[in-house]
Amino acid sequence: MSAASSFFRGSWTIAVYTWREGMRKKTLIGFLILSILTIFGSTFLTAFLSQTTVGDAQVDMELKLVKDICVTAISIFGILITIFISASVVPNEVENKVVYTILSKPVRRFQYLFGKFLGVQLIVIINLVLMGGLFFVQLYLKQHVLPTLLLWSILLTYFEFLIVSAFTFAISCSAASAVLPTIAGLFIYFTGNLTEYLKDVTARAGQTENALDVLIGKIANALYLILPNLQNFSLKSSILYLQPNDPPRDVQIPNLIIYALFYALSGYVLSYWIFRRKEL
Amino acid sequence: MNKSSNLKIGLLLAAVLAVSAWQGQRIQHLRESEMFFRWIIGESARARMFADTQTLEQENDGPKMMDSELLQRVSDAAQDHLRDVSVPDDVTDKEKGTLSKLVLVAASESQEKTIWDLVCSDVLAAEREDFLKYSREKKLSSVASVFDTEAVYTEGGASVNIGNIFLGFRKIAANFVWLQVDKYWHEGLLFRMVPLMKTCVMLDPTFVDAYLMGAWHLAYNIPVQMDETPEPLKKYYPQYKARLGDKELYYYVAADFLKDGIRKNPRNYKLYFDLGYTIYNLKLKDYANSVKYLSEAIRNKHDKWVPRMLYIAMELNGQFEEAQKGWEKYLENEPENATAKRFIIRNRGRIEDRKADEALSKVADAATPEEAQAARERAYALQKEAVKVWEEMGGPDGEDDPYAAARIMRLKAKRMLQQERYVEAVAILEHARFTSSEFFEEASGMIIEAKQKADIPLSLSEKLAIARREEAARYLEESKAQAEAEAKMQQEANTQK
Repeated sequence: MSAASSFFRGSWTIAVYTWREGMRKKTLIGFLILSILTIFGSTFLTAFLSQTTVGDAQVDMELKLVKDICVTAISIFGILITIFISASVVPNEVENKVVYTILSKPVRRFQYLFGKFLGVQLIVIINLVLMGGLFFVQLYLKQHVLPTLLLWSILLTYFEFLIVSAFTFAISCSAASAVLPTIAGLFIYFTGNLTEYLKDVTARAGQTENALDVLIGKIANALYLILPNLQNFSLKSSILYLQPNDPPRDVQIPNLIIYALFYALSGYVLSYWIFRRKEL
Repeated sequence: MNKSSNLKIGLLLAAVLAVSAWQGQRIQHLRESEMFFRWIIGESARARMFADTQTLEQENDGPKMMDSELLQRVSDAAQDHLRDVSVPDDVTDKEKGTLSKLVLVAASESQEKTIWDLVCSDVLAAEREDFLKYSREKKLSSVASVFDTEAVYTEGGASVNIGNIFLGFRKIAANFVWLQVDKYWHEGLLFRMVPLMKTCVMLDPTFVDAYLMGAWHLAYNIPVQMDETPEPLKKYYPQYKARLGDKELYYYVAADFLKDGIRKNPRNYKLYFDLGYTIYNLKLKDYANSVKYLSEAIRNKHDKWVPRMLYIAMELNGQFEEAQKGWEKYLENEPENATAKRFIIRNRGRIEDRKADEALSKVADAATPEEAQAARERAYALQKEAVKVWEEMGGPDGEDDPYAAARIMRLKAKRMLQQERYVEAVAILEHARFTSSEFFEEASGMIIEAKQKADIPLSLSEKLAIARREEAARYLEESKAQAEAEAKMQQEANTQK
């Protein structure tokens, strides 16, 4: 029991330290300010819309524009923050040689990595809460109903980021600088969103009965099954269009959370596998 | 030792990835079930609402659409499992006779859970597989939009799921396309708006406001800049059973646009409302269809003013009893509502008017003078009853309410027409039609009829109205005959093939 508490206490200390370090990064603060400006500025974009409309369609249209812009801003800036922070925490410590000081203490690599990963998640969560909070207030001011569905949307956004974060973190454990993992993180995000395309490839392959086509189809299908599909999280934007204050009836949410946790665990195990082989 | 622990971690990684992939499959199953569920709800709405309407995808020469066939199979498979499920109270006997249990159950939002459970179970597994197959092969009309269905259905080559192109940001892309539509609207480039509106709803089929505003542009803003089409230049459209010019066609295109929106958002009352009220009621004066779509609007969650429009459409469609009942129900919820009180009396008045008219028409059918006299007295008694109702609404002679005054004048004119006092009847009707604008059309028709009976010279506008009506009827007759002949020839050609 005391071993477990000592493990978590150690990891937590590293996590808090990572969080403090991370929040000082100018790039992250820049992204955060940009995202907040976009969320705030979404109201002004609605000024482009015609004022000559029927009934309450004008209000609905404005609300939709604000919702879509804010969800997109949170997704884009949130993922950039996630990738940059996940890609840099370990390589920076290796580069600064801080990692040697830490690992020379009674801290296991597994514990160190866990603390780092936890710290990254703290940064991502805090950024998401800041952006989501502003969006929440803005929606409330526009529709005068507490947008509770937004909370579900933010929750799903976080779990989408968690998958990208875990795999970027894993790649960063093998890199000497943050550049390669950052590019890899962006690649993971793009391919994660294009996984559905593999299904199209699978469906189309084999139509010619050519052996190569069949093989490509099988490979595409295997990749489709293994790779995380970030399009599954598209529910985060559609959920905002349910009736105000309706509980999300969708059974997908708990399943998506479990899905993200499994992939995050995969990413973490992979990062440990890579990191333990690293000569430090 | 190191090798063995590497292997262990590798195995652990493989195991976790395998579990993740398994969970991914579960989510895939849920997402596909949700798609199938939404398709069933949308397709059931189509079966209830548009079964008698020929949709655009049916007229195009693209691959055969499988929607109806698949829905029939799904309904058959679900029949036994829905035996004990109750259908909504407002389902008519006609609907019960013609529609499947699944379609009737899907009309009620409260039964969505039942359908969802069915969709997730193995009962509809085979149909689900076919649904996914047809979706991939673009054989389901729900993947298309109404403007150019053929292009969507028959596009060849490697098409990429449009959603993938935008990395999940389709909605924002749809918004920016809509901003462009709005810009064209300001610049007066109305015809450029149409293809962009199509793109917009393809990117985001749940963009209900794009459907609403798009239909508004199509039915109002574009045609308002066009001239009425002369009858000889109109073309017969079998799917609409009407002869239409370029201008008039826009009303139907707007209706089709909204119907497309309904298939993709079957629970949104606004789409039914706009279709029923702004298109069928205000533009096409098709009150039967107006009642049909407004009735569906109130089946879903709606604003409190929606039923009012339904009861007004019912009155215009001659369903006075239903309209009166509806207003009475409305008054129970809003006891102080003056409009409801007025419309209850108004519908009572229309019921009394109808009774009096029917009694009056029996006078001519009487075999003996005594019978005719008895029928006349009965008709006059009923007319008195009707006048009482109208006076209840508008005071003596309907002085306080133009509509009540016009209806009282109509009753007087009817009596005079029955007594063959045509000149006096025409004079009263001339007065009445300018007393209430709502009575103008009916009064004008009665005036023409009276003048024709009494050989009173018609005014120029009346002669033109008759000529236009006759010309339209003649052309319609010819076009229908031509369309039937063409359809027969097509059928024969198909048989020979």
